[in-house]
Amino acid sequence: MHNASDADRDFIAAAMPAFISEAGEQTEAIETLLLELEEQPDNRELLDSLFRCAHTVKGSAGIFGLSKVVEFTHHVETLLDKCRDGELALTPEISTLLLQCNDQIKFLVDTASDESADTPDLKDLRADLVIQLQVYTESAGKPTQANAAPVAAPIAAAAGAATSPAPSAAPGLTLWNISARFGQETFRNGMDPLSIAKYLKGLGHIQSMTCAIDAVPALVNLNPETCYLSFVMELESAAKREEIEGAFSFVADDCELDIQCPESAEQKLVRAIEDMPATPRLGDMLVSVGAVSQSKLTEVLSNQEQSTPATSGQKAKIGNLLEDKAGVAPAVVEAALNKQQKAKESSGEENRFIRVQADRLDAVINLLGELVIAGAGANLLARETRNVALIEANLHMNGLIEEIRNGTLGLRMVPVGETFSRFRRVVRDTAGSLGKEVNFEIVGGEAELDKSMVEKIADPLMHLVRNSLDHGLEPPAERVAAGKTPAGKLTLSAKHETGAILIRIEDDGRGINRERVLQRAWNKGLIEQGVVPSDDVINMMIFEAGFSTAEQVTNLSGRGVGMDVVKRNIEALRGNLKLNSRPGKGLTVDIRLPLTLAIIDGFLVGVGKAKFVLPLGSVVEVIEAGGQHVRVDKNGRHVVELRGNVLPVVRLRSLYSVESTLPERTSVVVVASSKGQYGIEVEVLMGQQQTVIKPLGRLFKTLRGISGSSILGSGEVALILDVGSLGDLVTADLHSSSHLNRTEVTP
Amino acid sequence: MSQAFELPEEMNIYSAVETRDALLAWIAAQTAKSDKLLDISGAKVREVDGSGLQLLASLSHSDQPWRLVDPSDALTQACTQLGLGDWLAEQTNAA
Repeated sequence: MHNASDADRDFIAAAMPAFISEAGEQTEAIETLLLELEEQPDNRELLDSLFRCAHTVKGSAGIFGLSKVVEFTHHVETLLDKCRDGELALTPEISTLLLQCNDQIKFLVDTASDESADTPDLKDLRADLVIQLQVYTESAGKPTQANAAPVAAPIAAAAGAATSPAPSAAPGLTLWNISARFGQETFRNGMDPLSIAKYLKGLGHIQSMTCAIDAVPALVNLNPETCYLSFVMELESAAKREEIEGAFSFVADDCELDIQCPESAEQKLVRAIEDMPATPRLGDMLVSVGAVSQSKLTEVLSNQEQSTPATSGQKAKIGNLLEDKAGVAPAVVEAALNKQQKAKESSGEENRFIRVQADRLDAVINLLGELVIAGAGANLLARETRNVALIEANLHMNGLIEEIRNGTLGLRMVPVGETFSRFRRVVRDTAGSLGKEVNFEIVGGEAELDKSMVEKIADPLMHLVRNSLDHGLEPPAERVAAGKTPAGKLTLSAKHETGAILIRIEDDGRGINRERVLQRAWNKGLIEQGVVPSDDVINMMIFEAGFSTAEQVTNLSGRGVGMDVVKRNIEALRGNLKLNSRPGKGLTVDIRLPLTLAIIDGFLVGVGKAKFVLPLGSVVEVIEAGGQHVRVDKNGRHVVELRGNVLPVVRLRSLYSVESTLPERTSVVVVASSKGQYGIEVEVLMGQQQTVIKPLGRLFKTLRGISGSSILGSGEVALILDVGSLGDLVTADLHSSSHLNRTEVTP
Repeated sequence: MSQAFELPEEMNIYSAVETRDALLAWIAAQTAKSDKLLDISGAKVREVDGSGLQLLASLSHSDQPWRLVDPSDALTQACTQLGLGDWLAEQTNAA
């Protein structure tokens, strides 16, 4: 603002981060919408949303005085306006241009507070983009020009101003009387009556339009940023009231809006019902608008009660009865039913958000971790007192803590799809630059994951997606020769598994060329010459540091850095990576990640004096096993017989060299991992325990089978077992030769 | 008649304050010289929004008689779209 007081300036500084994050969402939305529009170019709603997003960025940037964003976005908005008016078709070329512009908008927003980030090169780039935008914008205004650019149904400029003498609606259309008095803040909020008028023009035919300027003060007294305008419009349109109101949705707060149309008696009733506050009962609704009398309703209702018996077991629908017995018009009943439906939906689905700073939430979660530990401590002490009332009070409190924990951790959960949709652009651009065709599909984007995980997983995923595009999918000609469709298929999916989320990247490309991988592993000295490990091990070689098979190093992947980082990043999130390569048919990369980094439901067990926590979700059952039950088979591994099956068993005592005298009886906890079920032999079972995960120090990073530590109520430290990697240890024993080879060569 | 006031290429909310101040200064200078009809030219206007039109409209509520000369296509189109077509015609023909 031009004459911002100090208070304003403070406010703006404080609100800036919120603006940046909101504008970030808008630019992301713009990108998504542009990509969706490429698939359905005629979707008017998408185009409108796109325009609104650009408009919102511009408007809010204006409030913050970010003139560079405003100026640049303005050109984008102008072009979009032309598209919306049907003067310009959104061709792939324009789409690409807009995507590039969007990148610049995003950059300008991100660097809003850093002048130095904007280099002369970028300025030139933007100037160039603006020129390109203007070329399109200006060509659109002259549909008579003999240009080949597709100009969809140009609307004659004069059409909007036509003042036909007899205001009557054509059949099927309604003549709406719209009068709007705009609030003073309209301009400052980035909105404009003119663009609303233009928008309405798109909804139908404007029969007459008058702008009232009486309220505009003389120039001397005019505050040019305050809006004094109002207009009255007669719009002939097939649009519904909501659609017309939608045009005003951005100014609704301070706009006096009156939309009327000549209605029949029936339409009036329907309207009255729509305008009613949410009344839950159909009958009440109809009575209060006068569609049916109270006495008639009572009569119908008592009939309904009587007609209920045996025949169908179901009550006759009140709506049907009212139509039949009370002569209420079907359209009116339908409106009331719709209203009911809407009330139900809106109470459940109304999306209301509160923006909370992430570090505040983190502080709460940290405190909660302490609370969980303290709660467990109090519980322990209460048990020692053997005071039943105290124990019960503690149990109740712990129950509540658990609920708070679940609720609080839920606050951090966001749908993983937000990250996924970012990849559409990457796939589009990457495939384009590689000359490949790709059908990119996203499945299960609604699966939720901890926000910090979502952020941290984005980069590794990006790498894997690029890798699939670059190395996995073949160029069209090669695909056709291999009997596949010219366009490759790349699917990114997410789904929940017990206590974890599975993210899968699947392509139908050439898969991993094991021979070439093996050859290179030999050449690079990653594996001893001549040693042939198992297929799985060979596949996983692509994640080793300094490994790359791409013959031609592209600027996307193939430098041999990255894939090892991908693996490290995923493991740092306590996740794991699995490859399933089908040579010639495709590659599937599975990433399993724990749902949250902070607190899990654990199952506490003891071996000697050491305590271990197993994620409760992975525990299948616990079996009693006397010392002799766990046998050693001929391969030297521990096994136990469970209902006729032989189950491999991990003996924690020997694995981690825990000092203990083997007790008479031990228990075997059966857990499920991605490699199947196996048992973990323990000595003491201590039951369910809320576990706050603390990372292990650097010294213990290499410890296999342990994913973290936790502090128990008693102050003792328990180690958290990683069921997945313990499972690998068990199954690795099965192919002991390959396992050994691999550990030997890995530095 | 002396020179006409040239409205800027962009008559929108971002330039509104500037344009108003420039107009006020110009009008003050002109009226000091004579009380003739003020000429305001819209020939260069390429972009205009509601606030720009409102700024023009406010001239009609000022004491000095004025007229609009050479309104550009963009300006004419915006006026008609906002329902100011008749008003524009009046201002342009004001003799």
